[in-house]
Amino acid sequence: MHSIYARINNFSAFLSSCILTLLGAIALSSFLFTANPQGDLSVLSVKVYPGNSRRQPGLSQEYTFVNFNISADLTPLFHWNTKQLFLYLQAEYTDAKGVRNDVVIWDRIVRRKEEAVINVVGRNKYVFRDISHSFKNVPPANYSLQYNLMPHVGVLTYGEAGRTTEPVPFPPAQDFVSR
Amino acid sequence: MFAEELKTIRRLGIRHVLLQLLNFASVIASGLMIWKGLGLITNSESPIVVVLSGSMEPAFYRGDLLFLTNPANVPYHTGDITVYKVPGGQIPIVHRVLETRGVVRRASSSAKKAAAKGLADEGKEGAVLRTQPEAEVEQLLLTKGDNNHIDDIDLYEGLEWLERRHVVGKVRGFLPYIGYVTIAMNDFPKLKYALLGILGLVALVQRE
Repeated sequence: MHSIYARINNFSAFLSSCILTLLGAIALSSFLFTANPQGDLSVLSVKVYPGNSRRQPGLSQEYTFVNFNISADLTPLFHWNTKQLFLYLQAEYTDAKGVRNDVVIWDRIVRRKEEAVINVVGRNKYVFRDISHSFKNVPPANYSLQYNLMPHVGVLTYGEAGRTTEPVPFPPAQDFVSR
Repeated sequence: MFAEELKTIRRLGIRHVLLQLLNFASVIASGLMIWKGLGLITNSESPIVVVLSGSMEPAFYRGDLLFLTNPANVPYHTGDITVYKVPGGQIPIVHRVLETRGVVRRASSSAKKAAAKGLADEGKEGAVLRTQPEAEVEQLLLTKGDNNHIDDIDLYEGLEWLERRHVVGKVRGFLPYIGYVTIAMNDFPKLKYALLGILGLVALVQRE
C-alpha cells in the first residue's frame, strides 16, 4: 500500500494532471484576449517586368514588384500566452478564369512586444508571379496585412490588421531598359 | 532474478495472468480506438504529429506536439501551417502556405451535384470563387518553412505544386516539448524496448 512504487506512481500521476490542468487553463485564457489592432497599409507602386524563370530555363514569365508601406501597432496582440506573431502581406486577386489567388509577398516574425510597432517601407521579399506566366489579363489585386498569433500552448489564431482601400491594377509589362 | 515474480505468478494462478493480459490488451485497444476515432473526427490520417525538424523555428522546435484537422471542402489559406506528404517523400513535412492558387478542372457528375447543392452556402465560405457550377475549382498550394530561405518546390519530388490530396492536415493547436519522448525513442531504439518491456512486466506482475 505504502510501497515506494505506489508513492512514485501516485505522485507522478498527480503532478501530470496538475500540469495538464494548468496548461489547459492557460490555453483557454487566451480566448479572453480579443484585441484586434488595425494598421495602415498602402501600396506605393506596382511594376511588372518580363524575366526568365530560374527553375525552368527557357520559360519567360512576368514578375511583379510591389513597393508598399506598412505602419501598424500590434502590441495589443502580445499577452502572456503569445509566443510570436507571424506577420505577412498578401496579394489577393481573382484571375481571368474566375478563381481566387492568394500570394504572400512579404513576411516578418515578431517575437517581442518591443518589436511589435511595425513601420516598414519595402518591396516584396518573395517572387510574385501568376500561374499563367503573365499579368496581362489579371484584374486589379487587393493587398492585405494578415497575422498568425502563435501561443506558448493552445490554439493558433489568425487575423487581419490592414487592407488596401481600393484594388490596385497591374500595369502593362515594361522592359528593364528604360528608353 | 525473476524468482520472486515467478513465485507470485504461481501463487496467483493462471487465471490472474490471463486477466492481466486481457487488461493489457484492452489498454492497447482503447489507445488505438482513440487514435482512429480522432482521425475520423478530424478527417486526417494522423491528427497528432511530432515536429521532427527545425525548419519552422522559432515557431516549432523538435519535439513539439501539433494537433491537426483537415475538414473536407474547406479551402486552405495563406499563412496556414500544413503538414503534407508528397508521394516518394520520406516523412511528413510541417510548413506554412505561401501561395494558394485556384485552378479550374472539369468536374465529374457527382461533383456537379455537390456544387449545385452547395451553391446556397457558397456565400459564407467564399474563399474559392466558383463562377461556373459545372466546373470544379481545385486548389494548388506552395509552402515554405519559416526558417528556410526559399520555398519548398525542391521538396515536392518533381511536383510543381502541392495539391490537396497531399496535405495531411492543418495545424490548429500546439503543445510544446511533449513529443520529445518519441524522438528519444526513435534515436535510441533500446530505450523503446526497455520501456515496453518494463511496462509489460509491471502490468503482468502487479497485484491489485
